[in-house]
Parts: sequence; structure tokens; C-alpha cells
Amino acid sequence: MAVITLYYRYLERLVGVDKETILARLPMLGSDIERVEEDHVDVEFFPSRPDLFSVEGVARAMKGFLGVEKGLPAYHVKPSGISFSVDPGLASIRPYLGTAVIRGISLDEEAILSLMGLQEALHWALGRGRSKVAIGIHDLDHVTPPFRYIAEERTRSFVPLDYDREMTMEEILDTHPKGRAYADIVKDFPRFPLIVDACNQVLSFPPIINGELTRVTGESRNLLLDTTGTDERAVMTAVNILCTALADAGGQIESVEVDGGFIPTLAPTTRLVSSRECSSLLGVDFTPEELSALLERMRYSAEPVSDDKVRVTIPCYRADIMHDWDIFEDAAIAFGYENFRAEISPTFTIGKAHTVMTIASAVRSLGSGLGYQEVIPFTLTSERVMHSKMQRPLPAGTLTVLHPINEENTMVRTGILPLLIETLQFNRHRELPQRLFAVGDVVQDLTTYQKASFVSLHPAADFSEAYAVADALCRELSIPYTAGESGDQAFIQGRRGNLLVNGSVAGTFGEIHPAVLNAFELEHPVAAVEIDLRVVPGYPSGLGTP
Amino acid sequence: MDLSLNEKRLIKVLEPHKKYDPATLAAKMGTSAESVIQFSMLLAGRGLVHVEKEVHTTYALTDEGSRYAREGLPERQLLQSFEGRIPMADLTKHPLSRVGIGQMRKKGWVTIRDGMVEKTGQEMISEEERALREPECEGKGVSLLVKRGLLIEQQETRYLISLTPDGEAIAKKGLDLEAEIGTLTREQIIGGSWKDLPLRRYSLGTLPRKIYPGKIHPYQRILDEMRQTLLEMGFAEIYGGLVQSSFWNFDALFQPQDHPAREMQDTFFLKETVPVPPGFERVRDMHLHGGTTSSTGWGGDWRVEKAEQCVLRTHTTSLSIQHLVSHPEPPVKVFCIGRVYRRESIDSTHLAEFEQLEGIVMDKDVTFRHLLGFLKEFYGRMGFEGVRFRPGYFPYTEPSVEPEVFVDGLGWVEMGGAGVFREEVRAPWGVKHPVLAWGLGVSRVAMLRLGLKDLRQLYRTDIDFVRETSSWRPAHRASGRK
Repeated sequence: MAVITLYYRYLERLVGVDKETILARLPMLGSDIERVEEDHVDVEFFPSRPDLFSVEGVARAMKGFLGVEKGLPAYHVKPSGISFSVDPGLASIRPYLGTAVIRGISLDEEAILSLMGLQEALHWALGRGRSKVAIGIHDLDHVTPPFRYIAEERTRSFVPLDYDREMTMEEILDTHPKGRAYADIVKDFPRFPLIVDACNQVLSFPPIINGELTRVTGESRNLLLDTTGTDERAVMTAVNILCTALADAGGQIESVEVDGGFIPTLAPTTRLVSSRECSSLLGVDFTPEELSALLERMRYSAEPVSDDKVRVTIPCYRADIMHDWDIFEDAAIAFGYENFRAEISPTFTIGKAHTVMTIASAVRSLGSGLGYQEVIPFTLTSERVMHSKMQRPLPAGTLTVLHPINEENTMVRTGILPLLIETLQFNRHRELPQRLFAVGDVVQDLTTYQKASFVSLHPAADFSEAYAVADALCRELSIPYTAGESGDQAFIQGRRGNLLVNGSVAGTFGEIHPAVLNAFELEHPVAAVEIDLRVVPGYPSGLGTP
Repeated sequence: MDLSLNEKRLIKVLEPHKKYDPATLAAKMGTSAESVIQFSMLLAGRGLVHVEKEVHTTYALTDEGSRYAREGLPERQLLQSFEGRIPMADLTKHPLSRVGIGQMRKKGWVTIRDGMVEKTGQEMISEEERALREPECEGKGVSLLVKRGLLIEQQETRYLISLTPDGEAIAKKGLDLEAEIGTLTREQIIGGSWKDLPLRRYSLGTLPRKIYPGKIHPYQRILDEMRQTLLEMGFAEIYGGLVQSSFWNFDALFQPQDHPAREMQDTFFLKETVPVPPGFERVRDMHLHGGTTSSTGWGGDWRVEKAEQCVLRTHTTSLSIQHLVSHPEPPVKVFCIGRVYRRESIDSTHLAEFEQLEGIVMDKDVTFRHLLGFLKEFYGRMGFEGVRFRPGYFPYTEPSVEPEVFVDGLGWVEMGGAGVFREEVRAPWGVKHPVLAWGLGVSRVAMLRLGLKDLRQLYRTDIDFVRETSSWRPAHRASGRK
């Protein structure tokens, strides 16, 4: 999530309303207030609204929401007369370029911080860590147009930002902090993207680092923007969001000629939406006029064109409007979520528990009836707990995760018994006897199904106890079983058995092997039972496989 | 008055106006003196006997004391070792000089001047010497000898037991000495002899042994309560696999393939793949350009291979969408409570796996307002009366909402997410009516209800926590007000 710092002084100046009013309404616009400080507030905005990642963007939205200024904000773009060419050699490297010229800007410290925060947040939300879009902002007065975006030799050198000497691009990837951080995006390409001016001076090595030459300071008055990337829509959205923020900060936006076209246009788009559709989605009847009024407060321009339709003009910075319902959500926000009368629909249906859950509940009441306490262990575990400590081989069909968080969470459990024994280990200082059970999901061969497991730890725990519990469970769950010899190494030989149902093994019971007790630091015998609940009559078949 | 058999037997052996010592009574009763004292104390508590307690002190010589009793105290021996006067230097050669010199001087037997020790002629028998001969007569000498470690003091408590007038009255009436019964036998119950048996009475003051019943885990109890609530509200329960294809976990829910949640740092990916289902093209088209709807889609690429990769489900919404695909006709009201996975670093408030509760309602004419209605009803039944709604964002719902509940001491607490499924999600499967959907992190509710500080306590069970948590707890305990 993008956390944006809003300085009150700058925000109040832009909105024209005191900060208390703004803070009170901000959450109802769609944000979480993270921290309220003396001179600023940190607010988290949703990734769908990158246009709110700057103080200027928030101010623009708040002005509408609070009714200070409604309708579509106007942005005028003049041609700059500057051109920018794109090297066809970039087609397979980083093909898309967005750009703009911003003139007559005067950025104070808070405006510069807002701009840097916006750039950072866009890199994250829109740029996917600069791979999809990367942004460069330059002091235009230090370079000479026209500009060229080229695929350059990897050994070309220039002075990168924050350095005082020339480095080759390869060297930057190896040693510059930004180079190391983003090297993965470009390091495999034969040539690297580079932006140069008419005198072949370097402005930027996208998506890695700008040149020191065009550093933006409080003195900068005229800026050149570049956005490069692999997704044209995202590249243009970034230009629109940056340009509208900079225009709100006082800049004049000018377009640049790129291979015959002009960027940016900051032109809005339009949609014709149905007020009836909106009403039936939200459950509140809006006339086209009412809907238009709500949308104007969300900074759209909206005009009723029939007794149903509304022509909506969408500002260029709204990257999230993909569907009419996105507009209807804005109408709902303008209406105020607190103003909806919450009411259950008259939908008539009859409730029904799932059989798997009903069986699990039956096992739980049996478990407590037998004097066992339920525990709810994790399903992620490790080979060490499931197998090596249990003296069992790793069963076929064990599911391991590709990028585990740590050594304790490498696989999904295939059974619950090892986790119960591990729970006994956590509780080895607690009063005896300890009788625990668990019922829940296990996964084998991608199929999820339920198992139940029981353990009893006390000085007199033995095979007979385990057999008796296994027998009681099977009788109570109507499982017709026979007991057969088991080879399970987790149990003592001669003190273990399999539960056989229709000739296949559906469970195991017996007295846990002392070597297993040692491995789990247990000091008394443990009687244990584990059973696959798919043998319970009525357990639905064909479930749990993707 | 209810007397135990032992108490009765004691009264029986006590003759009026006589005092007995416990040993004598013990011999008569065939028990130990300690037991006699114990029974006497009980009877004394009832006012039936009188127990006189006398503490006797006796003195015994230590080994050193007995030696001096034979040979004389060190100062006396030292005094007799010389005549008239003796240089100090010579006297100190005597083995008893270390104790003896000081004592002779203290008793005024000698004076010491200019290195010479001289007898004063005042050599009376000291109190210590008298006490050494007759330790029984106590006095100052005895305590001096005790201090010098030559005598030891021994205290002995003697009891004298006699009947009080009440006791005598009871004894006169005669006592039934039949044995009291603890546990009734089968024969006593069915044979009717219980009518005449003296049944031992037990004391309420003796606290019972603590036993722990087998029980369902407190967290499961909360999950069951939620299930019950949803069943009562007419929802059918669904259940499905922990492993899902990316297709059902993400693509079918219109999560773009380059969405951050689909990167390996957020989701547990598996090496296994499963083929995409028939009809996947409609989902692909939805991503690419919005299919047949008014949506623009996400644009960019959509790769089948990415959709085929399996994950540990990141939400149970993957089950809801599959249920809708197989039940496209209204009405549908289903819910699911199941384990979901996020690739998070584990700490007190974040786990890599936890329960999620999910509910969907699909019907003709259901609206966003109804969604809020279901949320309010469910949270209300869970004991959260103060519920409010804020705008939210989820890739597969529009509008989206974040419900919050009011909790005393915490304020507004976020309680999951909800929304109306985007048309992009339902259109590929011919689901024509709106789908209201909501998900809730139930472990958060459990923490509030159980007063836990660490989420891990729910799963890594301390069995004392289960033992000590009452099975029935009022539902409104951790809840808030309006």
C-alpha cells in the first residue's frame, strides 16, 4: 500500500479548508490514516488511485468531496516546440516513452517532497518496482533539445546522480546503490536505454538513475519529464498523474513531439452511463441529475442526456476507471457510505451445513466426550517434524512450497499426528495427563481432505488405550474396520496397528516409539490414533482437488 | 452432634474427672499418641474435652559440659594450676587458658597487673559450678551455661486430656461405636442397610480436586458460533481444497497477472500446475480488453502458464467463484470458513496461515445496500453492535467496502472487506445477477473475544489456555456499543 505524507500547510493552502475538516472526511474518501503528526499526516491510499499519491492530487479530490470546487479540473497544454525521438532498437528493451515540459514552476521544500513521494509511490504502484514504468524529472535549463531516447552501448559513461565522477552504465549497475537495486530489470539486455540531449549529454539511464547534470532543485523553473516502460497505458498514466500534479503546483504543461505525435494531451475520456444501472447496483434511486451532481463532486464532468443516461467526462489522471461500475462506486462515495440504509435482501434460501464440516463436528464432540482437549495446529510444517523426528519416510505426493518463509514452514501437512506430538512438546511442563485431539485439512497429491488425530500422554498410556480409542471412534463414526499389522516406524513394533477399511489402510494407532518420544523431548508414553475421515460413511467424494 | 468414630472412641475411654496423657489413651485405643492429640483437638473444638497443654523445659549437658562436670570448669582448673601469682606469659601456656583467664577475671578470682596474674583470695563456688551440678534448679547459672554451650535446653509439650461437663453428659448417654461409611456399596444400596448406616459427612471447606473436561478449542467454538449464525441466516456451507490454480485464485477474480499479490514474496506458489478449465478464454479476454462488457480490461499480456500454476489459496473467494460457476442461477447464498495462506513474516499479528470467513449472496435485484445489511446483521449477531462502512479497494469488487466495528478501548477496528463482484468476474460464466461478497479475518474476532495479544496462541496451543478458558462465555464480552 502507498503511504503518502501530507503536510498540512501545503494541503490547507491547496484545498482552502482547515486541516481538521480535511482529516475528518479523508477516510470516507477511501483512505486509512496511519499517523497524525504535528505538521503532517501519513495516509494510506489504495493502489487503484495513484492520482491520490500526491498532496496536489489529494487536494484536488478533497476540494470536490467537500464541495469547494466541483467538476472536471481544466488542464491546458501548449506545444513546447521540443521534440523527442525513440530509437527503434528499444522495441525489445523498453519501448515506450512518455514525456512533457513543465514551465514556470517554483517548488518550495514541501512541494519537492510531495513530488518525490509521488514519484516513489508511482514507481511502486504503477511501475511495479520500475519494471513497468520508471520516471525521471529533469531541470530543462541545463540541457539542449531535441532529446533522444536511445539504446546505447553498455560501456557509455556519464556522471550519475549523487556522484562527482563519470561511470560506465555497467559500473553503475555494479556499484551505484540504485544500480544494484534495479539491475535485474536491464542487466540481460545487449544495450541499455539512455536519454541524451542535442549535445549528446546524458539526462537519464532509465529505469536506473538520472544524470547529475539535470538535478532538480528549488531553483529549477523549467522541467522535462520522462517516463519509460514496457506498458504503454501505464507509461501514459504516469505522465498524466505527474503533469496534473505539477500543474496544480503552479506549472504550465507543454507537450513534446514524439515521433510525429504530441505528448501529453491531458485529454479526458468520456463514458455514457445509465443512472438506472447505477441505482440498481447501489439500491438507491438516483435521477440522471442526481447522479450527475454526485459525480461532479468526484471531479468528473457529468451531464444528463436522457431520462436515464449521463455523459461522464473522466479526467485523464483516473487510471482506475475501466468499467461503468467504477464510476458508480464514486457516486456511492460522494453519496456517503454512512448514508446508505443497510438492509438485508429478501432472498429466500435454506441454510445447510457441509457434510465434511458436520463430520468434523461429530469428531469434535466425540473427542471431548472421550476427555480429549482440542488443539488447532498449523497446516504448514517441515520435513523434520513430519518425517525425520517421526521416523517415517516422506510420503509420495507431499506438497512443498517453492519459497518457504523459513525452515519450519516448508511443506503442507500430510497428517496431523506429528503436529499433535509437537504440541505435547510445547506443553511438556504442563500437568498430566494430557489428552489432545485435532481435526482438519491435510493435503496429498494436491487433494485436500480431512484427518483426525488423538494423542494421550501420561505414565500409564499404552497400546490398549490407543486401540480402545481407535475402536470407539470407528464405532461412533460407523466405520466398519478390521485391525491389521502396521509397519509404521513411529510406533513400537508389536504395539501398533492399522485400521483397515475395505482392505485399505485408513488409519494407524498404537504406542509411540520411544525414539520418537526422545526426538520430541517427551518423558512418558504416548498412545496415539490417526484416521483418514474419508472412510466415514457419507463423506462426499470428488472434493478438494484443484 | 455428629462425631466421627474416632472422636466417639476417645470419649468412651475418658473417665469423668480424670486427666490422661495421650500415650495412655493411645494404648487404650490402639492408636498413636499423635492421633489422640488430633482427635482431642477436634473434640476440644466442639467443647467436649478439655486439653491442657504444658510446656516442660529440661536441660542436658553437652559432651563438653559433662567433661567439665567431672573435671571442673576451665577457670577452676586454671586457678588450681598455680599458687599466689604467675606471669601471664607462663599461664597462657596452659591448654585451658584461652577460656579460663577471662572467666577467672570476670568472677573476681584474679587480678592482672604488669603481666602478672595474682589470686584475690575470693574464690567462692560460682553459680555456673552450682548449675553444673544440679541443672534442674534453673536460675542464672543455667542460662550462663546454655550460653557457653555446656548445657542444652529441651522443651517438651505435655498434654493432659479430660472430659468437660458436656463431654461427660455425652459419655453418659452412651455412644454408638459402629464404623462410619464412606463409599456406599452395591449391597448397602440394594439391601436397604443404608437406612441404618452412619454415613460419613464430608467437609465443604476442603476444596475439590481440579479436573479438566475434554473440550472443543475456544477458537473453534467461535468458528462454530459463526457457522451457526450463517446457517441460521439461510446460508449453505461450502468446502474446498487448500490448493488452487492461480486461475481460480487470481485470474477468475480479475486480478491482473502482474498484480503485486501474484509475486512470490506475497503468495505461496507451488511447482505443480493444473490445466485451465474450459471457458478460460472468456476470462483471458476479460483481462485483455474487457470481453463483452463495458470494461477496458487490464490490457497487457495474459499467459495461460501463469494461470496454471498452483498456489496455497490466498482467500476462500476462489471457492466462491467456482461455486458460482457451477450454480449460475439465482438465488445463491453460501459461506465458507477455511484456512488461507499469505507469505508473511510471522509475528504476533501476522501469520502465514489463518482462517477466513467468506459469504456471497447472488440474486435478482440485490444491491450494495443489501450487502451492507448482511454485514451489519452478521456483525451484530457476533456481538458487534457498532458497525460502520468505509470505501475500500479489492480488485474483484466494485463498489468495495471496509466494514469496521466499534470495540471498547480500541475504537473502530477494521473487520475484513466486502463488495459487489465486478461484472468482469461474473460475466465470463453467465452469472447475470449481482453477487454480494464479503470476507472476514476471523482470527481477529477471536483475539478480541478471547483477549489474546498474540495470534500464534490460537494455533500453537498452550493446553492450560484451553483448560482455563470457560466453554460458555457471554457473546457480548469483547463487543462494542453503538
